[in-house]
Order: sequence, then C-alpha cells, then structure tokens
Amino acid sequence: MLKVKAGDLDKMGLLFERYHKPLFGFLYHTTGQVAQSEDLVQTVFYRMLKYRHTFSGEGEFRTWMFHLARNVVNDAAKKNNRVVYEADITPRSERTISTPAADVQLETKQESEVLHQALAKLSPDHREVLILSRFQELSYQEIAEILKTSEGNIKVKVHRAMKELKGIFLKETH
Amino acid sequence: MDEQFDDIEKTLWEQMGKLRVPEPSKDVKIRFHAMLDTFKAEEEAKKEGIFQILLERFKTLFAYKPAYNWAYAMILIVISSGAGYFIGKPNSEVAANSNEVKRLSSEVQDMKQMMMLSMLENPVATERLKAVSYTQELNNVDDQVIDALLTTLNFDQNENVRLVTLEALIQLAENPKVREGLVQSLLTQESPLMQVALADAMVKLQEKRSVKQFKELLRKENLNDAVKGKIEKTILVLS
Repeated sequence: MLKVKAGDLDKMGLLFERYHKPLFGFLYHTTGQVAQSEDLVQTVFYRMLKYRHTFSGEGEFRTWMFHLARNVVNDAAKKNNRVVYEADITPRSERTISTPAADVQLETKQESEVLHQALAKLSPDHREVLILSRFQELSYQEIAEILKTSEGNIKVKVHRAMKELKGIFLKETH
Repeated sequence: MDEQFDDIEKTLWEQMGKLRVPEPSKDVKIRFHAMLDTFKAEEEAKKEGIFQILLERFKTLFAYKPAYNWAYAMILIVISSGAGYFIGKPNSEVAANSNEVKRLSSEVQDMKQMMMLSMLENPVATERLKAVSYTQELNNVDDQVIDALLTTLNFDQNENVRLVTLEALIQLAENPKVREGLVQSLLTQESPLMQVALADAMVKLQEKRSVKQFKELLRKENLNDAVKGKIEKTILVLS
C-alpha cells in the first residue's frame, strides 16, 4: 500500500487480488446483500485510492481497509436511509456451495440458515465484532484499532455478542 | 475461542466458522480494473492539466507583444527601482544602530571640545599643551574652538604653548578664519621664535596677504636681526 501511496497505482491490483474476498465477506456479513456488497467493494477500493495519503503505514493494511469499509457501509446506510443489515431476497441455500453428502448437506443447511437468521437479528455492534473476530479472524487488538477502542472493551463486546447470539439462536430453534 | 464461553456458545462459534460466504461475481474484478484505469487516467489528466495550465501561463507571460512596449519598459523600471530600493535600503536594525553610534560619537565630540576649552584656561602650561593637542582628535572644529586657539596663540604666556597652538592652527588652515587669524597674529607676536615660526607657516600656506603684515613688522625698531633676515626672505618668496 505504501507503493500505491507513493504513486504506483498499479500495485492496487495486487492488493485487490489479495483482499477483495475478505472484504466482500465482511461486507456481505454486515449488509446481508450480495449485489450491494459487490458495489461496496468497489467503493472501498476507490476510497483506498482516493485517500491513499491517509495510510500511515504504522498499522496493518487490512486494519485500515476494514476501517474504511465500516465508513463506507455507514455512509451507504445513511444515503439509503435504512438499516445496515437487510436479508437478501435470494434463498441462502441457493447462494451457498453445496457439499457432496446429501444428509449432512441438509442438516448443515438447516443449522446454517438458523445461525444466519440469528446473526441477522443481532444488534449491529455485536454483529460487527463477531464478523471481525470470527469471520475475518482479526485479533482483539486489531478490532480495537478499527473501532478506535480498547482491547478489553472488544473482549467484553465479543462475550456479550455471543450471549446475545445464543439467546436468539435458542429462540429460533425452539 | 475464549475459555469463558459455555458449550452452546462454543458450538455456535464453531458453526460460524463453517458458514459459507457466496463468492463475489467475476464482474467485481472487471469493474475494479475499469475503476482503477479510470482513476489513473483522471490522476494523469490532473497532473497534465496543472502542468499544461502553468506552461500556458508561463508562455503567455513571456510572449513578446510589440503593442505592450511601454508596459514592458514600465515593468522593468518598476522592478529595477524596487530592487535598487531594497538592495540599497539599509536594514532597519542596522540603521538604528548606526544612528545610535552617530549620536554617541557626536556626544563624545562635544565632551572633548568642552574639556579642551576648559583645559585651555588651566594655569598649568602642560595642561594647556594637552588641550591644544586635543584639537587633533576633534572631527569638526567650530568657531568657538578656533577663537580659543587664536586667543591662546596671541596671548598665552608660555611660548611652547603658543608654538604648539600654531602647529595646531596650521592643520586647520583650510578654514579662512584660521588663515586670517594667523596673518593678523604676525603683528601681535613679540617673541622672535614665534615670528620666525609664523613666517615659516606663511610660506608653507603660501599666504600672500601676509606680505603687508611682514612689511609692517620690518618697520618695528626692536626687531631681532635674525628675524628681520627671515622676514625679508619670506617676503621675497611670497611676492
């Protein structure tokens, strides 16, 4: 990214190859929308180019990337005057890649569906920390940097998020 | 996974790891590269745009237009005047210091003059000699000093003081008042030594007006023979 900052804009192509899937994953889990997430991927990379001078090089690139992505998501939600997360109309089972064994496949699909629904019902703050810690596998320290808070605060948030998720999940399954 | 999670939470954590995320479509990559190319083109255009604008303005500025000859001349005059003004203008601080030095210097001169004048009235001859020697340190000798020196030349009791005063006045001979005073002093001096010294001074200064005084001096009855011979030679030289 430092090379991009220095003016070698072609290097952004390499960063795209390496990071567009994790970024898409973050956006998809945050918004619940495939098409919108694809649009937002473009927006995030455009902002990276436009605001490349703000990358200090002190933290990790992906920390900066997720920080920009959060802003992009919030801006999009404000612009469209709606909540961040909105479940996609397309059935989730049609969007996931199928596994070979039919019985396992069915069970997994059902569990996944419930878990997805539970995640969708989580409060935005809790959903965000779970996305970053579980799906993006970022450390508490990195998440704290993105959310501009302390590591201890993130740890507490993840605990509370899991408690909330459990509550919603149990409600959905019973 | 944190140890404080219970079994259900741990299971949920595990299951979350298995949740599948749809692959972004291939369009994402195509759109990204299109966006990147557009962005690069815009950046280049911005750079070229700024460079082009500057170049054009530079060219326009230096393009020769015969109709503006007077304007060019005026601009050159203004620029050179400005440059001359700023180069020639002393730094304000330096100027202030310079003024301060001038003021102090002037005060020192005044003090020396006052000291000299008071010392000339001192009853001790050596003090008066010192006073006369101070005149060499004065940059600007005014009428008051000249009057004091001429008075000393004519009326000081001590011959050495009078001789030193004569030497000091010869140094100030550019002043017409000094020359006039020296000429007039010829008839005042009684001492042969002083008369001879004055004769030498007149020759040195080529003061032709003194011939009349010398002739008058020759008429004095008690004039020293040596002085008489000296005056006659002086008259010949000056005539």
